[in-house]
Amino acid sequence: MRATPLKSLASLAAVGLLVTGCGQGLLGGDDGDKAATANDPIVLGMLIPQSGSEAAIGPYMSNAAQLALDEINAKGGVLGRKLELKTADDACDAQSAAAGANKLVTEGVDISVGGYCSGATLPTLPIFGKANIPMIIPAANSQELVDQKLKHVFLINGTGSQQAGAAEKWIAKQGAKSVVLMHDNTSYSKDIALRTKALLDAPGDAEAVLVETVTPKESDYSANITNVLAKKPDFVYWTGYFQEGGLIARQLRQAGYKGSIMVGDGSVSPKLVEIAGAEAAEGVYATMTQTPDTLEGAEGWIAAYKKKYNADPGPYSNQAYDAVRLAAEAVTKAGGTDGAKVISALEAIDGFSMFSGPLKFTPEHTLANGGFQILVVKDGKITLQDSLK
Amino acid sequence: MTQLVWNGLFVGSFYALVALGYSMVYGIIKLLNFAHGDLYMLGAFVGFAILGAVGGVSSSMALPLLLVVLLATMVLTGLAGVALERIAYRPLRRAPRLSLLITAVGASFALEYGMRAAAGADPRVYPVRLGGTSVEVLGARLTLQQLVLVGVAVVLMIGLNLLITRTREGRAMRAIALDPRTSSLMGIDVNAVISRTFFLGSALAGAAGVMAGAYYGKIDFLMGFLIGLKAFTAAVIGGIGNIPGTMLGGLLLGLLESFGTFWLGGEWRDVFAFGVLILFLTVRPTGLLGERVTERV
Repeated sequence: MRATPLKSLASLAAVGLLVTGCGQGLLGGDDGDKAATANDPIVLGMLIPQSGSEAAIGPYMSNAAQLALDEINAKGGVLGRKLELKTADDACDAQSAAAGANKLVTEGVDISVGGYCSGATLPTLPIFGKANIPMIIPAANSQELVDQKLKHVFLINGTGSQQAGAAEKWIAKQGAKSVVLMHDNTSYSKDIALRTKALLDAPGDAEAVLVETVTPKESDYSANITNVLAKKPDFVYWTGYFQEGGLIARQLRQAGYKGSIMVGDGSVSPKLVEIAGAEAAEGVYATMTQTPDTLEGAEGWIAAYKKKYNADPGPYSNQAYDAVRLAAEAVTKAGGTDGAKVISALEAIDGFSMFSGPLKFTPEHTLANGGFQILVVKDGKITLQDSLK
Repeated sequence: MTQLVWNGLFVGSFYALVALGYSMVYGIIKLLNFAHGDLYMLGAFVGFAILGAVGGVSSSMALPLLLVVLLATMVLTGLAGVALERIAYRPLRRAPRLSLLITAVGASFALEYGMRAAAGADPRVYPVRLGGTSVEVLGARLTLQQLVLVGVAVVLMIGLNLLITRTREGRAMRAIALDPRTSSLMGIDVNAVISRTFFLGSALAGAAGVMAGAYYGKIDFLMGFLIGLKAFTAAVIGGIGNIPGTMLGGLLLGLLESFGTFWLGGEWRDVFAFGVLILFLTVRPTGLLGERVTERV
């Protein structure tokens, strides 16, 4: 129930229009490819949420991507060609994402470096696949993205199962006995919650006593929290996004819950602390890959970002930055933008230096090591608690 | 059990406040004002802006200050509602019903994304927040602040009901609901009364917006969407156009959600609440208190 019938109808109509437009555009695009010369820019496409509930994340990613692009262009570009970034809005919504992907394909994108919400990224896989465009996905990390074993899909964020593994490790380390998992029923969030539950169901101290689903975008979660507290848990793990995460942490504490709270990587944002309030957020754990705050030796990069945008980088800035660098590296190795050659180049990459460590893809096209760590809110700041190494 | 009832009543009083505006506007010009939920959002942002302008206050002053902000916001949101009617709806008053409906959807998007352009996509957090520790009453946790909010909602609703049933203004509204043309022949300034109806409905939505902002803390430009939908549902359950019925519908929807979550789990809550709605409307299409003979406002 997230759209009125009228609104759905309107967006359907919009998708229809774009698809029609794309049919003509594709032909134009093909002609353009044949005419591509050494002087044409290499176009990177980035689907990110620029409107809708996750609109706050979009600029973190596109700004960082642009930063990487500018650095590469300043050094003369790739194979003598400049890089160019085209963004499109996926609104964290499947229909908008499909429309946005078609738009990018029409615009002659060579490599896709976007994808934040898994539910919105999933429908774009076949669209880019058909157009022979390799995808380097910086943030979206549901297992469903790689379950289809598509050759053109590469994830440079840790996957859901790696995140669930990290969560289970930390829950065991904390000695928690009864765990409640809360998710918002999106493909990303549910995936982590159910994988964590599967791990907890194996013999061990901790037991998953409840999986609670909430409706995203609401303000009042008291009904869900009453359900959670009825199970008397000592650990609650929220796997959705930060807006609901902040409210849930606050409302759990208001209801008198004293145990541990942990959130997934979609909830790692300074806004989480702000929404929950300093008091309720204090001591909240998070499972997260490297962020600008926990990166070692990234001061120079953060300073460059700040200088350019007059704002701090945020979640997934570093992954978006790396996605662009990786795309440039792959094109260089492949000697051009031919989809199949770029895919082989990506598969062959070994030891390319990224924020998450030296890169080598698994046969599944995911990171061999998710690099998940445990963060904690301490004095209102999100800091590193345990690197789980 | 009492906890479930309290949760339901608390959420339900927000639904009821927002639903009243829907119901009044529908009653008087038969328009489903889909932008109504966005006036709730607008109210939350107006309150946020006023609080930001006032600056920091000690927490003991938080409640009185919020009441002042609440009144100021109600006036401003009310005026915004009047402007909305003047710009978007009045020129279309004689157009087919569907044009008005589409305009309302358009107005909703315009408000949402206008606010996004003005205030940004990042959610904002209220500088003054009603937290408070909870106390146990009959086995339910509730806070003083929750009681105050429900109290404010009840006072506003009673006030509205008195206004409509006991004053000249209210009589004019009821007359227009019955027959606008005859009302104007009898000397009622129909346009002015419709403007005032929009003012009242929007002011109530604005009040709910400020209260939600202060209690839950987080506001964002899409916050009005879901509650607009819920309020519409509440109005239909209660009998759209009927004021006491709408209030009842709001509370009932809150209770349905609360119990639905408890009995069937969070993922089935909306299925349960809206399933009941469908069932209810097949048995009683006019809603709880809506009858064909009832006067509508």
